[in-house]
Parts: sequence; C-alpha cells; structure tokens
Amino acid sequence: MARARASLIIATATVFIMLIVMYAVFNYHNYLLLSLGIIGGIMMLFFIRFEIKTVKTREIVILALLAAIGAVARVPFAGLPSVQPTSFVIITVGLVFGAESGFLVGALAALVSNIFLGQGPWTPWQMFAWGTMGMSAGLLRQFAGMGNLWVLNTFGFIWGFIFGWMMNLWIVFSNMQNFTWEFLVGIYVSSFYHDLAHAISNIVFISLFSMSWTRILNRFKKKHGLLEDPALNQTINRT
Amino acid sequence: MYFNHPIFLVTILLLLIFVNISHDGGKDLRKWLPTLSIMSTLIILINPFLVSRGTTILFYFRGKQVTVEAFMYGITMALFIAIILVIFISFNIILNGNRFLYIFSKFLPRIALMIMMAIRFVPLMKRRLDEIGDVQRLRGMSMTVGSLKTRVRSGMLRIQILLTWSLEEAVHVSNSMKARGYGSEGKKSSYTPYYMEKRDWFWLFVLASLMVVCFYGGKLGYGQMIIYPELGPWQFFQFDWVVFFCMLILTSFPLITEGREKLRWK
Repeated sequence: MARARASLIIATATVFIMLIVMYAVFNYHNYLLLSLGIIGGIMMLFFIRFEIKTVKTREIVILALLAAIGAVARVPFAGLPSVQPTSFVIITVGLVFGAESGFLVGALAALVSNIFLGQGPWTPWQMFAWGTMGMSAGLLRQFAGMGNLWVLNTFGFIWGFIFGWMMNLWIVFSNMQNFTWEFLVGIYVSSFYHDLAHAISNIVFISLFSMSWTRILNRFKKKHGLLEDPALNQTINRT
Repeated sequence: MYFNHPIFLVTILLLLIFVNISHDGGKDLRKWLPTLSIMSTLIILINPFLVSRGTTILFYFRGKQVTVEAFMYGITMALFIAIILVIFISFNIILNGNRFLYIFSKFLPRIALMIMMAIRFVPLMKRRLDEIGDVQRLRGMSMTVGSLKTRVRSGMLRIQILLTWSLEEAVHVSNSMKARGYGSEGKKSSYTPYYMEKRDWFWLFVLASLMVVCFYGGKLGYGQMIIYPELGPWQFFQFDWVVFFCMLILTSFPLITEGREKLRWK
C-alpha cells in the first residue's frame, strides 16, 4: 500500500512539475506538448493503480481480449461511415466489469486500433476519451437507473457528443497560436454531424445489443469469478 | 511548435523522410502520402481565409483581409504536422512488438503485456470475423444488401458471435500462461537482445547535449521567425547557424549511423 501511494504521488507530482517546467522553459508556449504530458500523467495514474493491484492472470487476458474486440469491431462497419461499435463495447465493459476495467479497455482499444489505423498526436486524446467513457459507465452502474434502456441510451447519446468534443480539443491545442473564439466555434460546429452520427449509432447499438452483451459478459464473469467488486466479495465472505 | 523558421522545418522534414526511407524504402510513407498532402494543402489554403491577423495584406476576400502572415503561418503549421506524422510513421516501424515490450515492461509490466496481447489478438479476431462472415453470408445475413438497420444488426451479431467464441478461449490462454509460470513468485531470467554499451552512452550524451543547445537556442528565439503581427526577416544570425547545425546532426543521426554501417559492410 505504501508503494502504491508513493507511485501515485510521484505521478501526480510529475503533472504539476511538467506544468511549471513547460511554463518556464517554453516561451513559445507549447500547448500541444503540455496537454499531451498532462493527459499522459492522468492516464499513468490509472495504469499504475492496475500494476499495483492483485489481479488474476485471467483478468489480464480477458481485458486484453475485450480491448482487441473493441478495436476489431470497427472492421465490419468500415463500409458504413461514422458507424463504429467501439464505444458500445467500451460502455458495456464498463457497465459489467466496473470503472477501472472500463478505463483500461477504452484506452487500450484506442491504442491498439491506432496501431493498425495510424498512430498520431490524437492517440492519447482518443485513449483518454474512450477511457473516461468506460470509466463513467463503470461509475454510474451503481445507480439502479443504468439498467433501464432509456437511461442507458441517453448516456450513450451524450457520450457520442462528449467524445467528439474531447477529440476536437487536440486540434484546438495544436493550433493555440492561432486561437480565436471563432476558430473554436467553427471546429465545434463542423464536427456536429459527425458527433451526431456517433451518438445515434450508440443508441442503435445499445438498444439492439446491450441486453444480450450484458448477459453474456455477466454470465462469464460469474462463471469464472472475474473482476468482482471487492466490496461485494467482502459481504459474501462475511455471510 | 518549437522551431518555426520555414528553412528549419523544410530541412527537418526532408531529413526525416530520408530516415524513413532508410527504414523500409518508404513503403509505409507512400501509404500515408495522399492523406499527408491533402491535409497540408487544406491547412495552407484554409488558414489565410480563417485568420485575418497580420499587417501585410494580399487582397480582400468578402471584406476580410487575407494576409501574407496568415499564409506563412499556414505553411509552417502544415510543415509541422507533416513532420509529426513522419516521425510517427518511423516510430511505428522502429518500435515493433519486441522492443515495445522491452521498454515498457520495465515500469509497466502488466500494461505492456496487455497491450502486446491485444495487438496479437487483433489479427486473430480479424481472421475469425472473416470466418464468421462467411458462415453468416451463407445463412443469408449480408452486410452489403438490405436496409441500414438490418446491416447494422447483422454486423453487430458477428461481433457478438466473436465475443462468445473468444471469451472461452481467453480462459484457455490464461490457464496456459499460468502453467508456464506467469505471475508466480520469484525472479525469472529472460533473454534481452538489447543492452547499453559504453559507446551507446557516449552517443546518448552527445545527442542530449545537442538537444540542450537546440532548446537553449529556441528559448532565446533562434530558429524561429516572427510571423504575427508582421513577418520577420528570413536571415540567419550567427547563433541561428549553430542551432541549425545542431538540429541537422540531431535529425540526421540515424542516417549517419546507418550510412556508416552501409559503407563499412559494402
């Protein structure tokens, strides 16, 4: 536990030191590099936490597999523009396996699919956006409403837009010298239809497949005892 | 953007393209060439019409001024993005699986393993998807004909089949890993084909000091051209040349080492 806390503190401190160093050294304020550093620092916190935890070998393999499925899921839909079920896969994983797994699968799916589709400065942003998508699904699963299809659809719809807005930020940050409010609004307006398509495809996938996917994953989770809530385990052990 | 002097950027871009060609004969680069050129042209063309900062006015477009400065900024921006992309293409070629795992297994062993496994699963999943697709096509569930809804449904059904198929197998994989001693206590030795020699440390030091000179020069404003509000002079000052020379060695270092090997082993 002490080791865990130490590395978490180190990662947090790195982000702040980076802020100061960037401000002091770069008189041409390099916002793209700075933003990438901060995103990397934030994600590092999650990764370190996963490194320290006791995890079964099974769980590692399953998470890697789910990330690969999330990445591959884009393949059959290559013919349909802006329809990709990766977000759906990540949300479902977050709902079933919890916030941390959701984050890891989201971040890994982005990284892995970009190895095949092309890596770039947008990769960390994508990792972060999909990671937080999975994480938020995992955090909200405790509310009973998340079982309701309407609530889940709203969640997917909203995330379709938030994902696009997060991804717009990397364009804004790489163009910071050029920044005007018109430019910002222009980028967000021009991405509207793309985001809308993402949101709608989320709704379609969630309403068609969310039930069966949750059932499949839940059954598998129960059968092999994977990635269970420690809180839940404690109550079972006590009784 | 650290250096924004167009001469600096053009030189860096050319050198990096040569470095890239030295990796694999520019095979990957050619794949990216259309995207790269379209993106650069768009940036160069769009920037002057979007941004009306700057003092040297070329002409008016719908009442907005189109300036030389904004044009120049578009060019440096495009060059900068092209440089980043070319670096990433090289990065993808150089940092292949083995090396990637070697670097990241030092401080994030579990995550590195997961990434490697996911990368390996992708071609496997693709192959399985093809098989599933063949079967589904015979059953009359096509991805190419029918309404959008049926296409989406049949596409997602394939992925669901893939999921149920692969989940069971993931357990087999993990059992096999456990049988071979993954995660067991105690230290295990492993063969690493990469190690640092004295000369590696020496060159690392040389490169680091060149980097420091570049950073210092950049901080003082060398290697940079003033664009807004008015286009600065193109000329190089004395220290500009020093920074330029350092940058030249830094970016062409892979070419120098590879070229020396090529000459020696001819």
